[in-house]
Amino acid sequence: MSGLESTITDFLKLTFLSMVPFVLASQGTMLSGRTGVFNVAQEGIMLVGASVGFLVSYITGSNLIGALVAMAAGGLFGLILAYFTTTLKMDQFVVGLALFFIGTGLSSLLPKLVIGVTLTPPLVKTLPEIPIPLLSQIPIIGPVLFKQNILVYFSILLSVFLWYMLYRTNMGLRMRSVGENPKASDALGINVSSNRYITSIIGGMLIGLAGAYLPMVYTGTFTDLMTKGRGWIAIALTFFGAWSPLPILFGSLFFAAIEVLSFRFQVGGSFIPYQFLSMLPYIATIVVMIFTFGKSRVPAFLGQNYDRERRTL
Amino acid sequence: MTQIRKFFPYLISVLAAFVVVGILLWVLGFNPLKAYQTILFTSFRTPNGFIQTLLKWIPLTLTALAFTVPLSSGKFNIGAEGQMLVGAIGAAAVGILFKDLPPALLLPLVILAGMLAGAFWGLIAAWLLYQFNINEILSTVLLNFISFALVDFVATGPWRDPAAGHPTTVPIGAGGFLPMLVKNPPLHSGIILAIIVAVAVYFFTSKTTSGYELVVTGANPRASKVHGINIRKMFLFSLVIGAAVAGLAGVIEVAGTHHRLIEGLHSNFPTLGLIIGLMARGKNQAVPFVAFFISILEVGGSAMQRTIMVPVQIVLIAEALILIFILLSDIIKRRQK
Repeated sequence: MSGLESTITDFLKLTFLSMVPFVLASQGTMLSGRTGVFNVAQEGIMLVGASVGFLVSYITGSNLIGALVAMAAGGLFGLILAYFTTTLKMDQFVVGLALFFIGTGLSSLLPKLVIGVTLTPPLVKTLPEIPIPLLSQIPIIGPVLFKQNILVYFSILLSVFLWYMLYRTNMGLRMRSVGENPKASDALGINVSSNRYITSIIGGMLIGLAGAYLPMVYTGTFTDLMTKGRGWIAIALTFFGAWSPLPILFGSLFFAAIEVLSFRFQVGGSFIPYQFLSMLPYIATIVVMIFTFGKSRVPAFLGQNYDRERRTL
Repeated sequence: MTQIRKFFPYLISVLAAFVVVGILLWVLGFNPLKAYQTILFTSFRTPNGFIQTLLKWIPLTLTALAFTVPLSSGKFNIGAEGQMLVGAIGAAAVGILFKDLPPALLLPLVILAGMLAGAFWGLIAAWLLYQFNINEILSTVLLNFISFALVDFVATGPWRDPAAGHPTTVPIGAGGFLPMLVKNPPLHSGIILAIIVAVAVYFFTSKTTSGYELVVTGANPRASKVHGINIRKMFLFSLVIGAAVAGLAGVIEVAGTHHRLIEGLHSNFPTLGLIIGLMARGKNQAVPFVAFFISILEVGGSAMQRTIMVPVQIVLIAEALILIFILLSDIIKRRQK
């Protein structure tokens, strides 16, 4: 393999590896958004997922159990969000922000209670690469696409599945109609509340898993505020991906590529001070928003609660 | 009687949150009564405790107002963190560059520079909203992360204090220091600035025409538009004003508390500011009082960590729970009607 070829392969492989938290968090945001629940607690839910996922796999020695408990914790946050907004009709942004605070506080409290303060950071095993036989032998594409950890495969399959579910099944049609016009959906006998609950809970589970990915793949341990704004970027990414599963998958690749580049340049050293390179993902997100906001299609009732007893919507 | 009734949901919410956290503490093997004793009374036991509380009250009130002023027009400013930090950079830059100026010149310049810098940081998000209709929650949060890198750049650059282990700049000129009100324990005059701002915000939003337009925009944007208010300008204006107030919080940390720019000087103030703003249900005039209560909890919380080893994060959980219960009390009130 030539030098350039291996550089490109490494870069693409890392990009696919780094896309996972964006895909999971953003698809979770998209899913509840399609029924009208606009979750803004991603950053907090991801932190809880990272903290709980790390602690459980540290204690049980199993990444699988850790990931499942992280998903359950995320799902619990989704359930609380749905209850406060759909049942109690509270402002979605306010509840989301409150959950963001609770998530941030819990994520840093739990490790202190369970493990305490240690001199060396406690570590969990990171997820192993699972090469797919034959396919992983293809040059460039093989190592990039078929020699990754299990969650890379999962996030791609999930995106395709969500596309199929939303656009090719009755269940998906019902979900989308709840977000576009809850009153008409209600009149047609679609249960608005249960659709909002289900998508909010599953969305929360995906966001929790996105958080658990960080200690299980990047660092092997939990550090305070380790999400570094990825939860917020995921919201912008969801707009960028027009609240649609496949564009979100490709958008995630773009955001992951910028993250990898920013990190590469910081480590590699350059004439630009590293602080400005570390700003890159956030600046890129703002620039992307300039080009996509207002132009991308958004569910008509995104962020609005539905009260069947009100005459006007 | 109506005053008591208004206050009642708050009291119940605080009690309910304390009960939940108390059970949590008890399960974890701490003594909840002892913990609450420390949390509630540390601020009033010693002069030092009281002054610590006042010193926390300043940035908490200002960052909470940075959230509630834009909220009056219906916009969510989550960027007080970045605006405070950029304000601190502005204050430190002027304080270091013109360090030989006399206090009569340097202090006003430091304050002005910091407030303008904070306002500029808010203007970016406000302009993105005005021009491209970009959600202000996202833009202000992303600008926070950019400001962290900016502070690191300034605090490790040419102005770095080589003697300090943590990224820190050299001190600003003595002319830029906020005068002390009390020498020992030290209390600087930043508290006067914070009181002036809190009163001015109250006066502006409840007694002036443009303040009224701001509040009306938040209450019903459509009706306001029909009646000839340029609501997009109102959004822009309220975000910039909020950001300038956050910038002042940064100025006070530099000119009053640290006399230099230190990485992390924003502490958890902006996050708490958001919680305070939401607890006050966005009412500007309630912010200073809620902020005082939260200052007591914060000072008590760190004392509790020192004395009975309860992690300080438990206070944040308690605060978030109080917020949730206050929000829930709104629902109960709505049902009773």
